[in-house]
Amino acid sequence: MLLRILAFELRYQLRQPLFWISLFLFFLLTFGAISTDVIVVGGAIGSVNRNAPFVILQMLAVMTGIGTFLTTAFVANSIHRDFESRTDAVFFSLPLKKRDYLLGRFSGSLLLANLVFLGVIMGIVIGSMMPWLEPARVGPFLLGPYVQAMLIFVVPNLFLTGAIFFSCAALTRSLLWTYVSVVVFFVGWGIAGAFLNDLENKSVAAMADPFGLSAFELVTRYWTVSERNAGGLPFTGALLWNRILWVGLAALILAFTCARFKLTTAEGGRARRRRRVEETVEAAAPEARAAARAPVSVAFGPAAWFRQYLHQARLETIGAITGTPFLVMLVFGVINIVANSTEIDDLYGTAVYPVTHLILQVIQGAFGLFVFLILIFYSGDMVWRDRTLRLSEVVDALPAPGWVLWGAKGTALAAMVVALHAAAMATGIGIQMYRGYTNFEVGLYLKGLFLVSCPQFLFIAALCLFVQVAVNQKFLGWLISLLVYVMGQVLPAMRLEHHLYRFATAPEAPYSDMNGFGHFVEPRVWFFLYWGFVCAVLVVLAHLLWVRGTGTGLALRLRIARRRLSPAARAILLASLAGVAATGGWIYYNTNVLNDYLPAKTRMDRQAEFEKLYKANEKLRGPRVINVAADVDIHPETRSVEIRGRYLLVNKTTEPIQAVHVTINPLVTINKLEVEGGRLDMEDARLGYRIFALVSPLAPGAQTRLSFDLAVTNRGFVNNGANTKLVANGTFFDSYDYFPHLGYSRANELDDPNERRRRGLPPVQRFPKIDDAAARMDNYISSEADWVHFETTVSTSPDQIAIAPGYLQKEWEAGGRRYFHYAMDSPIFDFFAYLSARYAVTKDVWNDVAIEVYHHPGHPWNVNRMIEGVKASLDYFTRNFGPYQHRQVRIVEFPRYARFAQSFPNTIPFSESIGFIARLDDEPEAIDYVFYVTAHEVAHQWWAHQVMGGNVQGATLLSETMSQYSALMVMEKAYGRDKMRKFLKYEMDNYLRGRGGERIEEMPLYLVENQPYIHYRKGSVVMYALRDYVGEEPLNRSLAEYVSAVKFQQPPYTFTLEFLDYIRSAVPEDRLSVVDDMFRNITLYENRASAATWSRRDDGKYVVTLSVSSAKFRADGSGAEMPAPLDDWVDVGVFGDKEPGAPPEGRLLYLEKRRIQRNEDTFEVVVDQKPFKAGIDPFNKLIDRNPENNLIAVSAGAS
Amino acid sequence: MQETPGTTHALLTLTIENLSKTYPNGVRALDDVSLTIPAGMFGLLGPNGAGKSTLMRTIATLQEPDSGRIRLGDLDVLRQKHEVRRTLGYLPQEFGVYPRVSALEMLSHVAVLKGLVNPGQRRETVDAILHTTNLWDVRKHKLGTYSGGMRQRFGIAQALLGDPRLIIVDEPTAGLDPAERLRFNNMLSEIGENVVVILSTHIVEDVSDLCRRMAIISRGRVLLTGDPQHAIDELRGRVWKKVIERGHLAGYERDCTVISTRLVAGRTAIHVVADSRPDGSFEEVPPDLEDVYFSALKGSDRRAA
Repeated sequence: MLLRILAFELRYQLRQPLFWISLFLFFLLTFGAISTDVIVVGGAIGSVNRNAPFVILQMLAVMTGIGTFLTTAFVANSIHRDFESRTDAVFFSLPLKKRDYLLGRFSGSLLLANLVFLGVIMGIVIGSMMPWLEPARVGPFLLGPYVQAMLIFVVPNLFLTGAIFFSCAALTRSLLWTYVSVVVFFVGWGIAGAFLNDLENKSVAAMADPFGLSAFELVTRYWTVSERNAGGLPFTGALLWNRILWVGLAALILAFTCARFKLTTAEGGRARRRRRVEETVEAAAPEARAAARAPVSVAFGPAAWFRQYLHQARLETIGAITGTPFLVMLVFGVINIVANSTEIDDLYGTAVYPVTHLILQVIQGAFGLFVFLILIFYSGDMVWRDRTLRLSEVVDALPAPGWVLWGAKGTALAAMVVALHAAAMATGIGIQMYRGYTNFEVGLYLKGLFLVSCPQFLFIAALCLFVQVAVNQKFLGWLISLLVYVMGQVLPAMRLEHHLYRFATAPEAPYSDMNGFGHFVEPRVWFFLYWGFVCAVLVVLAHLLWVRGTGTGLALRLRIARRRLSPAARAILLASLAGVAATGGWIYYNTNVLNDYLPAKTRMDRQAEFEKLYKANEKLRGPRVINVAADVDIHPETRSVEIRGRYLLVNKTTEPIQAVHVTINPLVTINKLEVEGGRLDMEDARLGYRIFALVSPLAPGAQTRLSFDLAVTNRGFVNNGANTKLVANGTFFDSYDYFPHLGYSRANELDDPNERRRRGLPPVQRFPKIDDAAARMDNYISSEADWVHFETTVSTSPDQIAIAPGYLQKEWEAGGRRYFHYAMDSPIFDFFAYLSARYAVTKDVWNDVAIEVYHHPGHPWNVNRMIEGVKASLDYFTRNFGPYQHRQVRIVEFPRYARFAQSFPNTIPFSESIGFIARLDDEPEAIDYVFYVTAHEVAHQWWAHQVMGGNVQGATLLSETMSQYSALMVMEKAYGRDKMRKFLKYEMDNYLRGRGGERIEEMPLYLVENQPYIHYRKGSVVMYALRDYVGEEPLNRSLAEYVSAVKFQQPPYTFTLEFLDYIRSAVPEDRLSVVDDMFRNITLYENRASAATWSRRDDGKYVVTLSVSSAKFRADGSGAEMPAPLDDWVDVGVFGDKEPGAPPEGRLLYLEKRRIQRNEDTFEVVVDQKPFKAGIDPFNKLIDRNPENNLIAVSAGAS
Repeated sequence: MQETPGTTHALLTLTIENLSKTYPNGVRALDDVSLTIPAGMFGLLGPNGAGKSTLMRTIATLQEPDSGRIRLGDLDVLRQKHEVRRTLGYLPQEFGVYPRVSALEMLSHVAVLKGLVNPGQRRETVDAILHTTNLWDVRKHKLGTYSGGMRQRFGIAQALLGDPRLIIVDEPTAGLDPAERLRFNNMLSEIGENVVVILSTHIVEDVSDLCRRMAIISRGRVLLTGDPQHAIDELRGRVWKKVIERGHLAGYERDCTVISTRLVAGRTAIHVVADSRPDGSFEEVPPDLEDVYFSALKGSDRRAA
């Protein structure tokens, strides 16, 4: 019987269009994701094969999340259908066994849901055969990963979600409650994920994720490109247990449902228990009867309609908002916000102050999709409710105008949006209160929620309503609303970026404490007006198409629509269309006429064009800048700047120079650009390239001048990528942005290999080879100058302070503007920045160095930490590396549109989002990254502004890795070694993850090609370990020698081979292999403690016997590993009981480097106290992808 | 505009001309239906699927015919839907309720939508209708808890709200017990004195009790229209009854126009229409509306065959 029901269910659902539509959609989605970069499912494919096993596994696994839709539509529907169509009475009266009925329906529909994944598989298989894919990126067809993905993810996940939603549908017999359970399930999933999203909770999170995605992530997080292309998924450990847990739970749920479900009809379990109203027989009083029939005063006309509308709207709104489903979703939305707020903006696990704009960001992130889902569900529910309840004939025959009926529903949807946002705001304020932060900024909440995000949801509500009315099919309506929304997100990948056709979208309006919403407000207002008019059109159309009565044929509805087009409706429609045209036209004028509308891909085309046209000029040796003088007028109120300046150029080559090539940002308006003794020979204003022919060639050693008068103006507004450098408060731009440059500028080259290939560019050469001696004639920052004299006068509004590198010579006011004259007394690199804002200034001194922090007055919290960081850094660096070349260190805050800090000579711009609001004062355990970032940037004054690498591979080791090392040392002095280990865990994790995202080739550290995961992350780990092998003092002595040998050098510039010679000189002879392992190769270890026992000696000491296994690998650039011979000195450690103040592993009883030469080895260690844990490389100094198994508990052994 | 209470309405007439409707699946629900319905009770009789509900929904402005016209007094029902709705009371054959709303709330709500926006007057009207339909005691209970009969009374209550001049009730007494049905019929006949009431039913007795005019429709066609009494008189002296063995039924059906068979104490009694007594074993019976109904259907079957 069960099989018959199953077969019936399968046949029934196979006839439903929904199955075929879903199959097709799933196919399309994965086909698109595999064969294009437009669609992304679960993360970009990056540089692995398009059909790599990892991609297959991930795609199928992630699609099961979307597959929840299937289990709701098919599996929950398989049971709910009977209640909805009232066939339950028929079925339940058949001689069916309850179990057969339930399980038959369940398994039949579940099987169907699984069948939909054939679409995914076909999408991958067919997608990876597409001819436009690069053959090198397509691997052979492998059956294994598909089978594995189906068995590990698809079947169990569909079983789980199917069981949950089927049970909800069976037990509550209500579709709405089933949807509620779907939302609750998803939000619960998100909440658990957010709470467990940090390094410490990885294994808990892996268990808690019902889809097994976290477990999958845990297992594959450090997979390199070659492993992603090759790998079968090991089905063990966390993944296996996760699957057992959740499949078991699903089976339990199903069993519970089988037990509780009753084959009875009635209005559901709850209604059955409710008391039926007693019938009363009462003869109606005659007078009452008369009254009932007495003629009544009935009002019609606009005033009455309006009152009808108010009444209806109140009823709909109260009904929706006090309904349990909405309240449940609201509560979960709030919980989701709370959960997401636990990790606002943190770095290295350190929290920030819950300032209002960050809370807003959390709300928008945690709430957005959620509000959207609620709108989608409720729009369908409301439009269809009267029909579902069979009340529509009654209501439709009432003499209320159509707009009263749908207007009330629209109002209820809008009220839900507003209620959700109000709840979000209350939650936000609650979170701030709970965290003891009391600057609530209610005005900012109102602006951020009700002006910046609310309108978009109202537009979406209008869209959902319109679609439901127009399509007149609930599921299809949902699907189409969803599609319109998704299209808005997907279109940019197809060069269709304009917000004019991406429904309800508008340019981003990022908030900065310094600059508020700034100039981002204006375009947003215009786009919202535009979408408001579009929605007005939709609303009128909905009015015309509103189904009243029973006729649903298209021709009929159009006929009715034409009849409904009253003069008033026509007037509103025309006015709205005019509004659309007017606002749309104004937007177009601003984005496309006043400004260049450049989708990201078109911008890349230009980059490619620039490279193709001018790359040949790269090798030309032109004159070099030796002196820069500039007058810069910043106009914050109009977001514009005027730059008048002069470069002194000299021919440093041995040949006469015929021409001067100048690159300049095409956004810049050029009033004057002249080379003394030159004439403009070629001008490409669109790409910003010009060649000046020198009338008489510039002889070796001879000088000339480049003088310029430039302006940057921001006219109107743009569609995307509004200028964030010139703003009302917090201007920050550097010389690369708007100053002219000599020669071809590589900085503009496309670096994404796929984008290059598409545009016919050769593979990118990130850096010249290390043995390219000619390339070392330039440093890696600038190819137009070595060291320059710098002097500038900068002006701004009178209420702002303007800053540029150099020492302030003079400050004055003239013509209502404030002027600052800065000059540098020693030559600097040809790289400088300008900043201007309303600053508060905090000053201090260290020895004879002035320390100044220019910060937003509302950000006082960490200014002293920065000052302490500067002092500690200056102290350590001057003692260990050599003197500081300037007399001043200035830290200058800039808005959070960018998130970095950067070191210019004596000037360190520092983003408001990486330190100014970090919450460290009452969190002693937190990593003080403010201190760390400060130290890193101060270190750059040595490692970049003194020691500068030539433009070859490895250059960023000399600046970034060395700044990391320097900062680590300063931090260790201030915070101790345990804190450093916590910090380095993040560094190690980031390095290992970074390898999987590599797009070209992982380089060994000494050849690093500006790869952040290597020069920062691996650099930290390696240098910290090197310090451990060599000792701090010998290492620093070598470094100091290196600094004094190469600082301020003229070309050729130093490189890592020279640097490694100095390192070697510090390393003891027998440990020299570490230099090879750490710098010259990609070396990985797999160290594991396999067993440990202790026994007690007669003298009361403990002998610990520790067995370890070790392996060492060398990886190539794609991550493929080869075993390497072991002969390494590795820490062996024993730990005692936990105690306060001791490391988390326990009190350290023994730690010594032991020589490891065999894969399996056993050590005996004698300790004074009872051992609890022992292991190899317990502090994870070596790069090891499974650091968790390095330690093992020590058990009592035979004595 | 505000219509003053107590205005005497001119007696309305509903005129249906050549109404046709074919559903997309090919079912011909209305086939050139023409009817004139004056003020008073009008009964619409017909078997299931005859097109009664389609006709009612079309008159109630909820459905568009393929062709034809409907006029209510001066109003074009198919065009001036809103004006028609202002005078309409409609009880569909099948209808639902908001399960978590009380009868009182729901009726007030309907009253507002019917234009009773004055709260005091609305309350009076709603209270009165609750008394009339005998729902006063349970007015605060949720509609979801109502029994079938109570729900039906609620449906009647909402239809009668707001002094409608065109009342369309589709199978209103289905699910009512005999006492309730009687009371409802009384109520309808009182109201039906001045306004157009269209009552669709397949209970022949209701029509003969209540209606001065009626129509019988089947397969979308009007088979007969007029005064029920007149139709009965037409048949007088032509209906014959005989009690037969069940096995002989086929023979009689072949030889005579058998309009109905019914069981009487376990034996089969047939009614036959004939201008003269078919044979001595038949006895003449005075015709009733049921005989009219069945003979009309039979006649239509013959023609269709």
